[in-house]
Amino acid sequence: VACSMAGEEDFFLEEKRFKQHCEEFVKHSQQIGDGWEWRTSKDLGDGYLSKTHFQVRNRHIPPDPKEKNNDNVEQTLLAHVEESLDDSQVAGVCAAEEVIRYEYHVLYSSSYQVPVLYFRACFLDGRPLTLEEIWRSVHACYQDRLQEGPWETITQQEHPILGQPFFVLHPCRTNEFISAVLAGPQKHNRHTNYIILWLSTVGPVVGLNLPLSYAKVAPEQNSNTD
Amino acid sequence: MTDDKDVLRDVWFGRIPTCFTLYQDEITEREAEPYYLLLPRISYLTLVTDKVKKHFQKVMKQEEVSEIWFEYEGTPLKWHYPIGLLFDLHASNTALPWSITVHFKNFPEKDLLHCHSKDVIEAHFMACIKEADALKHKSQVINEMQKKDHKQLWMGLQNDKFEQFWAINRKLMEYPPEENGFRYIPFRIYQATTERPFIQKLFRPIATGGHLHTLGDLLKDVCPSAVAPEDGEQKTQVMIHGIEPMLETPIQWLSEHMSYPDNFLHISIIPRPTD
Repeated sequence: VACSMAGEEDFFLEEKRFKQHCEEFVKHSQQIGDGWEWRTSKDLGDGYLSKTHFQVRNRHIPPDPKEKNNDNVEQTLLAHVEESLDDSQVAGVCAAEEVIRYEYHVLYSSSYQVPVLYFRACFLDGRPLTLEEIWRSVHACYQDRLQEGPWETITQQEHPILGQPFFVLHPCRTNEFISAVLAGPQKHNRHTNYIILWLSTVGPVVGLNLPLSYAKVAPEQNSNTD
Repeated sequence: MTDDKDVLRDVWFGRIPTCFTLYQDEITEREAEPYYLLLPRISYLTLVTDKVKKHFQKVMKQEEVSEIWFEYEGTPLKWHYPIGLLFDLHASNTALPWSITVHFKNFPEKDLLHCHSKDVIEAHFMACIKEADALKHKSQVINEMQKKDHKQLWMGLQNDKFEQFWAINRKLMEYPPEENGFRYIPFRIYQATTERPFIQKLFRPIATGGHLHTLGDLLKDVCPSAVAPEDGEQKTQVMIHGIEPMLETPIQWLSEHMSYPDNFLHISIIPRPTD
């Protein structure tokens, strides 16, 4: 797989295109009941994607993320039990496990011209997760990268539209890996939904998974696509 | 005529006389005296209030102390905003000293970011600088710098060292000779009355015709209510670092000379006092 680094043409996402891809994304989400919606801000007309879901987490402390052999990775994957629950199931969860309410928002960064993933998480009693708890819950596969530079990966920031504290997955390196992936399809197949591509890559880092059916989304042909 | 470089010094050394008072419901072993301090406009509350914390912790039991947070007239103060911005936005037309209330309990999770260590402040500061450079130079200048240069920006701020800071920051204020300014201007416009914390948009300092955009042009584009007089009278003030710059000022000049150390122009739109 060719890895395009700086020097190759950068793929930037314009805000209008961001909105179009989000619209498409929400349409598909509605078709499969995946729970995403678009929220428009009242004052300036910008907006963001939003989804809330509940996750069950095994209360056992995850195995030491520094242990590297394959067996442990598999065990770690299983130990992070992540089943999505709907509201009616939440009450029935047994006490040895914790239920965490995650709220994910996808906003557009005009500074970096990429989408950015914001999220917050709290226990059912309303207690928010701390940054340390969030870091610890990052999937085992990504722990190495996280520990190399936690402060450049996930930090707490103010939500630019709501003004409340959220956790953010830093966008400054998004362009690196997105360009690498999009350089291919962009040329011979313009019909790639940036949001699906990007979210399916970064989402799993913070417990957000996209059902495979998103891969089948075929954007509408329209004369505005360049 | 004042040299432009003098403006850089005036901005850096701006101070706000502040009186810190412990919240009355905090549990103390003896009476807590207020603590007075000159706060640097360009810094952050949690970076410059170690003495405030120590002063009040002396009269409190250890178990009554958890993360410190600050509030002004019922509004939790966001430590991640520069002090000068907080003052301009919330208290600029009130009598000095600025009266801030200190809390050690009931941290407002829904309003404030946590700040458990100086690392958090550094990470936030550097993230702002990087975002500013993404706008000004597509991140080319900041990415070309070494880690030690990044560190020098932070140390300069932390230790109040103007020369140390600007030795590096001047590179972030340069632009290619064939251009007349930055690609886009890093700015944020704040109004205390909105739910949205700030307005930030892409804005070029140079118009397609080649002339320089002004502060007035920026406001007209991004926040028209701040310039358009209703009833023929200007109901708001546009404030940066405690002053109202002329709307004719080129925004490129403002960006180079009146940005905060994070390289952003933080602009407050506040009600004009009716005296």
